Amino acid sequence: MSDDARTRILEATVACLGRYGIAKTTVDDAAREAGLARATVYRHFPDGKDQLITESITWAVAQFFTELAHAVDDAPDFATLLERALVHAHRAVDEHEVLQKVLVTEPERLLPQLTQSAPMMQLVIRDYFAERLVGEELRPGVDARRAADWLARMGLSFILAGGRWDLTDPAEVRRLVRNELLVAILVPADSDQ
Amino acid sequence: MVGDTRVAAPPPEVKAVQGTDELTERVLDASLVLVARWGVTKTALSDVAKEAGCSRATVYRAFPGGKQHLFHALGMRELASYLQAVLDAVDAADDLTDAVTRALVVATRLLQDHDAAQFVLEHEPGLLLPFLGFKQVDVLYAHTAAVVGPHFERFLAADRAAWLSEWCARLFITYLFNLDTEIDLAVVDQARDLVAGFVLPSFPPLPATTPHTR
Repeated sequence: MSDDARTRILEATVACLGRYGIAKTTVDDAAREAGLARATVYRHFPDGKDQLITESITWAVAQFFTELAHAVDDAPDFATLLERALVHAHRAVDEHEVLQKVLVTEPERLLPQLTQSAPMMQLVIRDYFAERLVGEELRPGVDARRAADWLARMGLSFILAGGRWDLTDPAEVRRLVRNELLVAILVPADSDQ
Repeated sequence: MVGDTRVAAPPPEVKAVQGTDELTERVLDASLVLVARWGVTKTALSDVAKEAGCSRATVYRAFPGGKQHLFHALGMRELASYLQAVLDAVDAADDLTDAVTRALVVATRLLQDHDAAQFVLEHEPGLLLPFLGFKQVDVLYAHTAAVVGPHFERFLAADRAAWLSEWCARLFITYLFNLDTEIDLAVVDQARDLVAGFVLPSFPPLPATTPHTR
């Protein structure tokens, strides 16, 4: 029951953040939403509201990337994986109701929280990319570990914002990935020419 | 600040207060000292007046909109002077690798040496991050592309130059918030290895032009 209750509380807290915002959500709100006693919430999050908010945001971020990995996992090669990840992540960010709402109402509270989880996210993506780069033909002199770190940084950067690239257009994402981001790293497969 | 070179043209917000340019600068300089000491939130206009050696009414005459007006003008002034230093570094470079490397090194060092910016980054990130998150950061990318891009056009076609500027802004921001133990953009060789290794292979030089252009 323990892990289960914990997840239920985190999920409930995220729902409350969407409804009441970061400043106004209370431990009571989260307990009510989760259908648990206030004491149970405190047992899992003894430091109370601040801990609950921080951990629920970290949990939501982890959920986001778990779903992202799941959506792209069957990509046949790294270039395709990166393309799918950018398209999927961009759409997921746009469609994430809680994220979009709190970004408008309390960016000054949300963004410092997200910035704190950024190094952790980057490490997770880096390790995932490093694994997926095995078996790809790297350009001479490219260090796979450094390349994975770099691509994780760029991936996160594009998940945050597309800049001059329209990430809803698969052809444009393909150009971004194959003609820009991977040029220095991978020897193109024949089909890319 | 040490060795501070102000940009010649003040941003429009500052220009709006005419005939008091010197006073305006003094008030902004005083504000900068206070932000470096205890941040934006805790700095009151009366503190600024005291630090600048003038009355509170004088501060209000220079910035009728009050604290928000003053800090907006301060941010604009610091940003303009920061960007100018980066552009100077780009313009002094001999080739594209050198230009991008210098831009990143100068941008990193200036930010590290800017006590007020460092205070805000460390203690008041909520003031800064709304400009750097999600769709808001697109504004920064577009601005960088518009301002820095033309200075890369010695080496690249305009659209490539604009994209390279955005890419450099992305690179700069990621290393600003996610430190890397192996890459310090303030170190010339490390910055050069990074851009030469991962960015510039996508930017082959313009084909040799006809003799009259050189």
